Amino acid sequence: MGNFLVARLAQAAIVTIVVGALSFVLIRILPGDAAMRIAAGRYGPDASITEAAAKVRLELGLDRPVAVQFLEWLGNLLRFDLGHSLVTAAPVVHELQVQLGASAWLAAAALTLSILIGPAIGVLSGLRPGGVADRLGLAGAAIFRAMPPFVLGLLLMLVFSKQLSWLPPAGFGSPREILLPALTLALGLAAMSSRVARNSVAAVVKAPYFAFARHKGLPEAVVVRRHGLRNAAIPVVSYLGLQAIYLVEGVVVVESLFAYPGIGHALVHAIIERDVPMVQGTALVMGLMFVAIAALVDAISLWLDPRLRRTA
Amino acid sequence: MSMIGEFTEARARPRLSGSGIFGLALLSLLGSFALVGPVVIPTDPAAQDFSASLAPIGGDYLLGADHYGRSLLARLAHGARLSFGLAFLTMLAAALPGVLFGLVAAWKGGWIERLMELLATVVLALPGLMLVLLLLAFSPGNYGPLFLGLSLTLWVEFYRVTRATSKTILAQLHIEAARVLGFGSGYILRNHVLPVIAPTIATLAAFAMATAIIAVSTLSAISVGLQPPTPELGSMIVELLPYYAEAPLHVLMPAMLIFLLVLGLQLVAEGDRG
Amino acid sequence: MNVRTAIQELSVSGLAVESAAGRVVSDISFTIGRGRPLTLLGESGSGKSLVAQAIMGSLPPELRATGKVRLDGNDLLAGSRGVQRRLWGREISLLPQEPWLALDPTMRVQGQVAEVHRYVKGRDARRSRQLAAGNLGEVDLPGAGRLYPFQMSGGMAQRVAIAIAHAAGSDLLIADEPTKGLDAALRDSVTARLRQEVENGRLLLTITHDVAVARALGGMVGVMLNGELIECGPAERQLSAPTHDYSRALLAADPESWSRQAPTTPGGVVLAGYGLAKAFGEASLFADLNVEIRAGEIVAVVGPSGCGKTTLGNILLGLVKSDSGSVERRNDLPALRYQKLYQDPPSVFAPHQPIRKGLADLARLHGRSWNVVERLVSRLRLQSSLLDRLPGQISGGELQRFALVRALLLEPVFLFADEATSRLDPVSQREVVAFLLEIVRETGLGVLLVTHDRHLAERISNRVIDFAQ
Repeated sequence: MGNFLVARLAQAAIVTIVVGALSFVLIRILPGDAAMRIAAGRYGPDASITEAAAKVRLELGLDRPVAVQFLEWLGNLLRFDLGHSLVTAAPVVHELQVQLGASAWLAAAALTLSILIGPAIGVLSGLRPGGVADRLGLAGAAIFRAMPPFVLGLLLMLVFSKQLSWLPPAGFGSPREILLPALTLALGLAAMSSRVARNSVAAVVKAPYFAFARHKGLPEAVVVRRHGLRNAAIPVVSYLGLQAIYLVEGVVVVESLFAYPGIGHALVHAIIERDVPMVQGTALVMGLMFVAIAALVDAISLWLDPRLRRTA
Repeated sequence: MSMIGEFTEARARPRLSGSGIFGLALLSLLGSFALVGPVVIPTDPAAQDFSASLAPIGGDYLLGADHYGRSLLARLAHGARLSFGLAFLTMLAAALPGVLFGLVAAWKGGWIERLMELLATVVLALPGLMLVLLLLAFSPGNYGPLFLGLSLTLWVEFYRVTRATSKTILAQLHIEAARVLGFGSGYILRNHVLPVIAPTIATLAAFAMATAIIAVSTLSAISVGLQPPTPELGSMIVELLPYYAEAPLHVLMPAMLIFLLVLGLQLVAEGDRG
Repeated sequence: MNVRTAIQELSVSGLAVESAAGRVVSDISFTIGRGRPLTLLGESGSGKSLVAQAIMGSLPPELRATGKVRLDGNDLLAGSRGVQRRLWGREISLLPQEPWLALDPTMRVQGQVAEVHRYVKGRDARRSRQLAAGNLGEVDLPGAGRLYPFQMSGGMAQRVAIAIAHAAGSDLLIADEPTKGLDAALRDSVTARLRQEVENGRLLLTITHDVAVARALGGMVGVMLNGELIECGPAERQLSAPTHDYSRALLAADPESWSRQAPTTPGGVVLAGYGLAKAFGEASLFADLNVEIRAGEIVAVVGPSGCGKTTLGNILLGLVKSDSGSVERRNDLPALRYQKLYQDPPSVFAPHQPIRKGLADLARLHGRSWNVVERLVSRLRLQSSLLDRLPGQISGGELQRFALVRALLLEPVFLFADEATSRLDPVSQREVVAFLLEIVRETGLGVLLVTHDRHLAERISNRVIDFAQ
């Protein structure tokens, strides 16, 4: 039981090291004066920037091995001392606090919507494999899966904002503005999870334990409630772990598309502007968000499926 | 960026399903457009003709022209070639080391396998697109980091599936039986392992190409991938978006092309799985 | 408690099962009374499971049952399927095949028993739990209610299924292959349990392919072939003096009824192990074990599953290392002349390779001509049309004979036969054993025969090493 926690903590550590290392290299190879840039990133642009740069230059001196400098860099990261944006000069942590809230809302809304859509279609399809609902579900899933999130988002934007003018095309602040980006992500997620749910339901209905529950004389509703739902939910939930990848990637894309002021949007901007402290901060938070979602899915899977607790 | 699918069991390659055949037909059509199109269409995809700005479909320009008056037919053909070509190269660069490492890890085990596993864990710790984005920060708008980042993320899936499947096969009794009968490793690899994993690898390859096409177009669409004026399908959509009111079909055509490419690849991949 | 008179008799007459393509089971008639259980014997595909499903009312929708199935005079087939379903868990209980798959993997066993009291009998939750604990006690599983099915052995899962039948309190028990996948010891404990159910006054219908199960249960025995009940009568008579040819063949194929036919003229030692020991972790499988196998003799190793029989053979072949001791082979012979025959033939052929290709490659690798292969193939009475099939497309018995062809092609002096006939149906088993004996006599092959079937070991081996002690 503790195993999964250890694995996720290790993953979080790897995320931190990978993001930190790439940012460390990045800030050194950008054109211009590295010391100046690092000083600005570390202490913010106050009057004494040149002195700070001199100090940093001294620190960066060739006498100090790269490994030591890198460890120091990681040390700052671990204390969540993320420095200042090279563009806005604000402390990175402040910016992240606002953006994280917005992104978390978006992810939560998308996940909730997808869980309302995907498994419902999946159950309808799986109860009668090969039936009308199954074929429609299959076709729908194939179409939505073949559509990159940005194309799907654009189409939704064109239909609901430009043609119908029902919803605002961009912005943040009201539920109406979160709806389009969340729906974009939810449809993509549901396209995949509906098929997993469908296969899972079809497998449970055929399972010997499901037949045996009927042979015991249990009423159909009891059979489904006690022996159907949990067993069918297990693959769907563990698939959510895989979908966390799609969700986090999708958040980056969809936020940029809808100019939704979250971390993904900030990450893309920071990359375009090569604002290394911001790149590092946003990538770190998104990576950790990914680990957190995966850990949550692990926990739910463990609760649902006693077989996973075997080694505990 | 994740290649979604469950590849735990390997079985004999079934005949392509109906949707698989449809996917194959679709891919052949788009493939020939991407291969032959740029050769036979004489128009330069970058040639501007301001008098033909947003020219309608079916006029002087068969599929119309964009806001700079560039032939959309030429741009779509070059865009398809770019998407296909980049996806194919990425897939190769991911599949070759992935399959090779997977086989070696399954066969040798020990520290080689542990090292490979660690490497895979490190790459998978971050969602693939994030890794590509971080590499793109080094040199935005260039092929190098895009290609490297995509291959770096995609090889893991090939590695993991190959390793897991080969390990299962190698643990089976027909391998022991073949050794008792005197067959060598090369024979076992060719006759016992490869026929089982080949269909799975083919499926993965199709999924990997679909993933690469989505990633390349997505990254240009959010302005961190390939930059205009490169005729890249994703950036074409974004470039044309402001003119949606005047020329809605112009925006939808590249989107449709991406959709069909990905759909074709996914249908072939799934048809393969039977 | 509800008062209700116990059912006295199940009577089936003229039962048939039809599919769109025609009849798959026809004209089945028998009667089961208290103290007189019925066992239906037959191979897979003989239609015996369909009979059980027709009585139960659980046939797949594309099949239809006709005829009469009377439970104390009530015709179960007269009403709709819904009528039959209402009897499930009340009058009729099913003991499922492979009960470890029939129990819900995500629910504790207690709940799976208690829900019969709760939702079928309508008792309250507390009372249901108490009664369920009692039911588990009745099958010697007190306190097992906290376990999940994956924490139980196959035998325990089978007993939980019986506890569920107790909870239902139904008078008719239908046991569909209740010993499938169990080894001999567990099989005997399950049949003993079923006997007890009969003594407690339940009607019992058992479906099995295992003659030993029919013998242990007693009562009535019916033999099924191609959807027909070819014979039905008291067990004593059916199992000693059957009239129908097929029943005779079926019984003759049971090793218990074979005559002793061990080879008689052993030669020099071809393989020996001295002072062998093997342990997995803490558990020692065997220690200080000496074994010698001579040319032309069969040495049998018997014992329950998991006792290390197969490991011993693998050590002798050099596939597994022993912890101590030594293995001595004739050093004038290459390792290739020490061969192995496996338990599950489909798992030892490359699944994508036609048989012909595998044999041709083997012949080429070792410089044998294809004629030798063909001679062996016809010698083992294998049709040459089978050569072009994939391993998954031919029967286990045929495939095992192809495995024998492969081994014989290398002119072995020693063969490790690892449960080589235990997955085969009795008739195929007999054929493969007969070939093996012929070859031992002719070529002076030394055989180490690992089996859980004591009768088989005693009938055909020169010596038996017993791992049970």
